[in-house]
Amino acid sequence: MRWFLAFTLWCALAVSAGAQDAREVRLGFLALENDPRFDEDFAYARIALRPQGDTVTGVELAIADMKILTDARGFEVTLDEASVSEDALVAEAERMIADGAAFIIVDLPAAQVRTVAEAVGDRATVLNTTAPEDDLRRSCIPGLLHTGASDRMISDALVQHLARQKWTSALVLRGKSERDMARAAAFAEAAERLRIEVVETREFDLSTNPALREENNIMLVTGGLRDYDVIFIADDYGEYSRYVEYQSALPRPVIGAAGLVAQEWSWALERYGAPQVNSRFEDMSEDNRRMNWQDWSTWVAGRAVLTAYAKTREDSVEAVNDYMRSHRLSLDGSKGVPMTFRSWNGQIRMPILLTTSNAVIDIAPIQGFLHQSNTLDSLGQDEAEFSCE
Amino acid sequence: MKQGIFAAIVAAGLAFGPAHAKDTGLVFVSNEKSHEVWVLDAEFNVIKQIETSRRPRDMKMNDAQTMLYVACGDDDVIDVIDIETLEVVDQIPTGPSPEVFAFSPDESRMYVSNEEDSMLEVIDMESRIVVHDVPTGAEPEGVIQTADGSTVYVTSEVADMIHVVDPQAGVVTDNIIVGTRPRRFVLTPDTNELWVSAELSSEIYVIDRDTNEIKDVLEFLPPGFRPEDVTPVGMAITEDGSIGIISLGRANHIAIIDARTKELQDYVLVGNRAWSVALNRDESVAVVANGLSDDITLVDMESRRPIRSIPVGRVPHTVVIDD
Repeated sequence: MRWFLAFTLWCALAVSAGAQDAREVRLGFLALENDPRFDEDFAYARIALRPQGDTVTGVELAIADMKILTDARGFEVTLDEASVSEDALVAEAERMIADGAAFIIVDLPAAQVRTVAEAVGDRATVLNTTAPEDDLRRSCIPGLLHTGASDRMISDALVQHLARQKWTSALVLRGKSERDMARAAAFAEAAERLRIEVVETREFDLSTNPALREENNIMLVTGGLRDYDVIFIADDYGEYSRYVEYQSALPRPVIGAAGLVAQEWSWALERYGAPQVNSRFEDMSEDNRRMNWQDWSTWVAGRAVLTAYAKTREDSVEAVNDYMRSHRLSLDGSKGVPMTFRSWNGQIRMPILLTTSNAVIDIAPIQGFLHQSNTLDSLGQDEAEFSCE
Repeated sequence: MKQGIFAAIVAAGLAFGPAHAKDTGLVFVSNEKSHEVWVLDAEFNVIKQIETSRRPRDMKMNDAQTMLYVACGDDDVIDVIDIETLEVVDQIPTGPSPEVFAFSPDESRMYVSNEEDSMLEVIDMESRIVVHDVPTGAEPEGVIQTADGSTVYVTSEVADMIHVVDPQAGVVTDNIIVGTRPRRFVLTPDTNELWVSAELSSEIYVIDRDTNEIKDVLEFLPPGFRPEDVTPVGMAITEDGSIGIISLGRANHIAIIDARTKELQDYVLVGNRAWSVALNRDESVAVVANGLSDDITLVDMESRRPIRSIPVGRVPHTVVIDD
């Protein structure tokens, strides 16, 4: 039986509002003008295949949520927001740093995150919110943190569910894009760790070309092989995957891009203060839209930086960075457990929601999946299996 | 063995009964997701399920023990239950999503945290007019008033702060920054301390009420659990200020401590996500609401052992005992 009584003084600050002179905290937010990941063209019949909307709202919500705390500490928070073309990203990041931003939250595809983070070096901390590529994490770029989940974390969450359900074999379908390859590869790694058998990996084709019917006909894509428990689809566009359920050769559940989808956030989460976060976000967004996983990631990035500013006793940017990367951060992302950044790759630890169109089926780490130091590290590449590339 | 302990407790409860004619011994449990207040008799048999407005959470009794007030988060009202008839007889309108509330010492005012619009609302009980709306950090939750009525404390779960409020003026006079997701309060009767549970940094902050400075930070770790499993929420202190009880959330235990020295005495296993905790008047039994296993656990305070768990409605929130 262990018992701790800690006289920790670092947090023992009782401050009265407005007692100090306001010090400016500049938060950069950098996005890509006409980001192809948010391209509406893929959505036929006005069905939103991909989350739409401006993720800067997440940062604005974080600033509003933390205002009373940052006010009490005498900080004036300024958001320096820019959405520019690919060629102008580095120059824009440089301008933000020149104007005093020590933290830049980016909503960019992986390649652009890499470009910006490498250019910025140690002059600012870059927070990647929406690029899930594990490659980016393995690059170990100093000063780069990740508040969105990695492909591997998403896959581990799904695979834990499969293992718990004793669904031990999967058919993997993937599209031809790099994103789909990355996600399918992450699923294969996760499946191997928990001994889920991938019976076959097949590529699908989004066409009606009869010459490609082995790839585009769902009965054929899902049939003609031995039995399996579940169909995993890696489909970043989301167009093919929405037709697979109820059309497969075998009556098997669909996971990944349709059916059971693992993601950082869902409007349907009912616990841990999530309904309040959702309604604050809806009130704040332009069209009262629902909060997507991308918005959650930008919200958490903003909260991480502002929490570190508010709770560090020292005012230097180094101290804020140290605090943010330490176990003291204990960040609340309204998913019921404290979150901290992994020291080995700058990835934030988080629970992953297993969602359907209107329910949260479970939250990974699923009960029973343990880890020697923090159960959240059962999601994503663990320290022991991780190495920088 | 367990039955024996239980019988002894019931006997003690009954023996205590006649001295307080009004005390019905009833145990009330609010259930957030089934929109009911369950009523159990002194022997913990379920005798009634009172349908309330939607999402009943915090509950308080008036001093006369005639009425039970229930904050109903999704209908923006506080339902009033007549303890004699066990029926909802009245409703007090509030701001959006009332969660936790407290009465002023003379019961002329009510202080309500409104989770959705981040306000501490001060409501005049007679006119039912909102006297003050005190802005708080996002998701205000715990509310408590000092016995002399001079100060109200309210937590902001999102801003990790305690707001110190002057209820007469309706203004925040001080802010205390604590750990992550501060939830609930208790006041010690004799040492001038305010305790607040910080759910996600797994700590209890002990605050000196004179200086608003943090005196101690308490941490708990029942055997076999990880620090991050410990998510303290509900607390109770015995009337003499000697013993403190702290529910440890997903660590599925309560901690029983010496409230003065803060020395740990026992961990007692209860249900899943142990939530709020209440003591009966003779302090022989602690009743713990378990948010994820939809039951309450009775803990014998003498042997420090769980007596039994009783299924209730969906997501039990608060326990109030009328004895």
